[in-house]
Amino acid sequence: MTLLMILTVLFPAACALVLGCAQSLQSNSRALHLFTGGALLVQCAIAVACAAGGDASFTFLTIGQSLPLVLAVDGLARFFVVFFTVMWTVPVFYSFSYMSHDGHEKRYLVFYLLTLSALEALALSGTAVTMYLFFEVMTLLSVALVLHEMTKESIAAGLKYLLYSIAGATMGLLGIFFLVPNTASPTFVPGGSLNASLTCPPETLLIILFITIVGFGTKAGLFPMHAWLPTAHPIAPAPASAVLSGVITKAGVLCVLRLIFYTFGADFIRGTWVQTALIITALLTVFMGSMMAFRTDLFKKRLAYSTVSQVSYVLLGIFLLEGTALQGSLLHVVFHSAIKTCLFLSAGAVIHQTGKTRVSELEGIGKEMPVTLWCFTLVSLGLIGIPPTGGFISKWNLAQGALASGTGFLEWLSPAVLLLSALLTAGYLLPVTIHGFFPGRDYDYASLTKKECGYMMLVPMILCVLFTFLGGMFPGPLTSFFSGITAPLL
Amino acid sequence: MDLLLPASVFLPMLAAPVSYIIGRKSKNARNIFAMAVQVLILFPTLWLLVRALSGKDAAAFSLEGFCGLGLHFRSDGFRSLYAAVAAVMWCFTGLFSPEYFAHYRNRNRYTFFCLITLGATLGVFLSDDLYTTFIFFEIMSFTSYTWVAHEETQGAMRAAETYLAVAVIGGMVTLMGLFMLYRNLGTLSFDGMAAAAAQRDSLSALYLPGAFVLFGFGAKAGMFPVHIWLPKAHPVAPAPSSALLSGILTKTGIFGILVLSVYVFRHDASWGLAILLLGCVTMFLGAVLALFSVDLKRTLACSSMSQVGFILVGIACQCLLGEESTLAAQGTVLHMLNHSLFKLVLFMCAGTVYMHLHKLNLNDIRGWGRKKPFLAVCFLIAALGISGIPLFSGYVSKSLLHEGLLEYVHEGEGFALIAGVVEKVFILTGGLTLTYMTKLFVTLFVEKHPTEQRKYNKTGPYLTPLGHIAIGVPACLLLLFGLSPAFSMQALSFLSLPFMDAHPHAVDYFSAENLLGALKSILVAGVAYPLIVRGWMMKKEGKTRIHVNRWFKRFDLEDTVYRPFISLLLKGLGFVALGADRLLEGVLLPCGVSLLAFLARTADRLLDGWLLPGLTKAGAAAAAGFDAVFDRYLIPTMISVGTFFGRVFDNVTDAVALALKNTAFRLIRPSRGPTVGNRFTYALGSFLDKCAALLNRTVLRAHPIRTRFVPALAAAREDAEENVKHFTRTLSFSLLLFALGLLLVLVAVRVF
Repeated sequence: MTLLMILTVLFPAACALVLGCAQSLQSNSRALHLFTGGALLVQCAIAVACAAGGDASFTFLTIGQSLPLVLAVDGLARFFVVFFTVMWTVPVFYSFSYMSHDGHEKRYLVFYLLTLSALEALALSGTAVTMYLFFEVMTLLSVALVLHEMTKESIAAGLKYLLYSIAGATMGLLGIFFLVPNTASPTFVPGGSLNASLTCPPETLLIILFITIVGFGTKAGLFPMHAWLPTAHPIAPAPASAVLSGVITKAGVLCVLRLIFYTFGADFIRGTWVQTALIITALLTVFMGSMMAFRTDLFKKRLAYSTVSQVSYVLLGIFLLEGTALQGSLLHVVFHSAIKTCLFLSAGAVIHQTGKTRVSELEGIGKEMPVTLWCFTLVSLGLIGIPPTGGFISKWNLAQGALASGTGFLEWLSPAVLLLSALLTAGYLLPVTIHGFFPGRDYDYASLTKKECGYMMLVPMILCVLFTFLGGMFPGPLTSFFSGITAPLL
Repeated sequence: MDLLLPASVFLPMLAAPVSYIIGRKSKNARNIFAMAVQVLILFPTLWLLVRALSGKDAAAFSLEGFCGLGLHFRSDGFRSLYAAVAAVMWCFTGLFSPEYFAHYRNRNRYTFFCLITLGATLGVFLSDDLYTTFIFFEIMSFTSYTWVAHEETQGAMRAAETYLAVAVIGGMVTLMGLFMLYRNLGTLSFDGMAAAAAQRDSLSALYLPGAFVLFGFGAKAGMFPVHIWLPKAHPVAPAPSSALLSGILTKTGIFGILVLSVYVFRHDASWGLAILLLGCVTMFLGAVLALFSVDLKRTLACSSMSQVGFILVGIACQCLLGEESTLAAQGTVLHMLNHSLFKLVLFMCAGTVYMHLHKLNLNDIRGWGRKKPFLAVCFLIAALGISGIPLFSGYVSKSLLHEGLLEYVHEGEGFALIAGVVEKVFILTGGLTLTYMTKLFVTLFVEKHPTEQRKYNKTGPYLTPLGHIAIGVPACLLLLFGLSPAFSMQALSFLSLPFMDAHPHAVDYFSAENLLGALKSILVAGVAYPLIVRGWMMKKEGKTRIHVNRWFKRFDLEDTVYRPFISLLLKGLGFVALGADRLLEGVLLPCGVSLLAFLARTADRLLDGWLLPGLTKAGAAAAAGFDAVFDRYLIPTMISVGTFFGRVFDNVTDAVALALKNTAFRLIRPSRGPTVGNRFTYALGSFLDKCAALLNRTVLRAHPIRTRFVPALAAAREDAEENVKHFTRTLSFSLLLFALGLLLVLVAVRVF
């Protein structure tokens, strides 16, 4: 089991190393694709095998006397390992086609694999310090994905990403300083491991907790540390935007989950001003992201703002500290990831094939690229939360959880904000579909040329669409898996 | 578990992509396939209806876990009736579609969405819990959007935008209501909700969720004040879609309201009053709008709104009447049924006109129906029916509704006074219905077009045989219903009563009271038509009198209230969001940085300009003072003290030694006189003195030798004598002598 954990973490890095050293792959893009694709598929198998095994933990280093660095498999780690790996694998096939004329494809793929390594390690982290360590590693590696284009803008965006992430992680580190003397065990314990007698007043610890959550929330685009996201995500190449929005933001969610449910414990937070403050922050982010997406014309930036909003749905579900809401959160992690990946991929396909970057230019795009726009439309419905898609299921759970959470006026405000945001989501996604498929009477059908992209780009999108719908229609297996994870937490 | 239910819902949905694929290859094959699907789906639904009529148990089907809470279908009398009505509507519009769409673009898209909407609509009508209803309701809302937008003209796109906005907003508000209902009642199944609601002492906690759900379903039904999309969207859609939108999609909204009213708010008078007032306004406003309209399809659309108002009044009466709601329940279901069929016939007639003229303005199409008896008769059956003329089907349903209302007024309890006013409006609206239908009929079939009449008369065959069937069969059905209400309509209405928790009892449809009501309405029309329609609403232009739209443009709820409100709201919210978005980078960071910079600068200034110099001066002064004290007093003193102590410590041993030497260990020396030396020293001294004197005078003038050699030599001799004396007295000397003696002894011993 230990070996399997190490393999999960190191295999992508090893592949990246091979990729980086092998000069022959530079010129031979076919071999490059085969190698990377194969490596990721193998990694999927390894991750599944790792998740299928029992609980295990393994200390690979001890800093000083009392700070062990631990890799561990538990319920949440199981979910995130598989989730990260699969969602990392799907867009890579798209990128083979998308990046083929890029010139720096190899560099991109090397960092892509390295970042996956860091993510796997983050998912398997068994202590807060380990988590912090790999969180920073992951940040540093993923900056390369943002920087990829190497234009002035992308470098500025990369720096912004870096600054925000490091600022956030530093705030997180503050919490860890306070946690270590106050927890019974350095490893994560479901339900929290806070000592009965604290070294500082609980009020101080609550403030620290708030700062810590906001710090790790940076990665998840939580207000007020969200501003890097709409800058950095759109600037990256489309498949990178897809994983940045779909997967990396969820790393922030993972950290928040670990902090709240595995160290501090839900009972410590429930009913305090921190819970109220966090819920309000999340609601504000939900609303603000949607509204800003509604006002933004740049296609990919609109989607990035949408991510700001949607990831805060997940955070809201966590902050409510209620079983159904938490399940809704985890469901939304999965569904938002699939949906946003597909949205970015289809937006990327449109940009790749037509060069149009603004929503207002997309009139008639559905006639030129019907399959792409169909995928876009179907997952859009998912993001709005129209049944029978996955987005509807997660929203239903979130709202039911909110109504049962016993948080006073936030009980009904939360579902109301979710629905307001859903309306805005419809407002910023559906016009693309409408103008794309209904270009109007004056549309020049004679000069219409099909610009549909190739199978390599379409298949990942179609997979996401299928998952969004099938997952929504038959959520039973997912919800029962998640209830296994969430049951010991509350 | 009856597979017929899911089959009728999902088969059309599965057929949709198939028809799309076929359509890519051959348009004809696609048309035939789509038509076949729409006709075939009639059979399972009719079978369900026959089953219900024969008194068998309701068929049910559930798919647990679908979308979380599962799908639940059930086909009791009412639901199987309405599923059958939906299938009939699709069947006949399906027959009519191929010829109507002959010259259209994007027909593949139309067929695709038409089939999905069919499945979704059946899903709504067969659902057994609000969750299932909502799922299919949402699917239906989105797929039917494509109908409204199909023409892709500017007007169509705008109407479609409104339709979608209302559908999405309605859907979300409904969802909020469902969240709360589920939270409050713990279930969304119809019977479960009824049981849970019955156990509650007060339903007041349910009014808000109820209102939310009502908003969404009411929007689809065309209920005031969320009717705004209806008069715009129905006319711009292609005619078969208009028929479906008006005839059946509005009924999905009614279905939702009905479920809410008879299951959740069963016999709740407050809820009934709310529905009654909304229904009354909808009914009257729709009729007025229809009267003012000069567009054939818009008139029909507004008429739909008005008829929905009638149905809402019926639903309200069910809530108000409590246990004796039979008449109202029968009226509700029959009016739903009638209205579906009326609008089917009327919109297809309108479609026939549009198909040939591509115009809908009453002034352009007047006289087109002359010498087209088939069309005229079909139109007339539906028109008289919808106006509630005795012997036509609408008379029966309207009479039942009216009787239900009167029953409540006569009871004289609760809100009877308000109901009395509503009853007057009911009669008035009935009259207005007859008025605008007369206006349409006269314009289309009686009047002559001033310039084009000759061309209109020579249209030739204007409908294919399929088209004749599509319009003729429903018209015949209506005629049949109207002529034999006791057989046909009564059976269907009794079938539906269990759904509405009412019990059948026979009605005399042609009683004096009912006939009087109809007569009143006819009288109203008799006054209104000549005065208003022929008088005020027409003006002379050249030789002919034309219809003019006397409606005040300002009175458009959408343009004057909703759109400005929403755009204002979006602006306001957008401003808030922008503020929040830029808060960190635009406000907090700059402010923080400025503040820090200010603090730093101030600190800097303080440090540089005041604090440092001050400190330096003070320091210098202090240092100088200190220096002075240090140099002048402290160090000398310390050195002195130190030296003193140093000396003291340095000499203490010596002093003690000296003291000891001078006291305890004082050497006892005999006192002597002055040293004079002996002769030798004196002689040598004298000699040396003389030598020194000589040298001093000669060589050593500069540095004369001062030594007196005579006393010096004497002293030296005395010292030497003294030292030898000392030496001989010391221990060492003794030891030396001892050693010498020992040596001598040893030598002696060795020698001897």
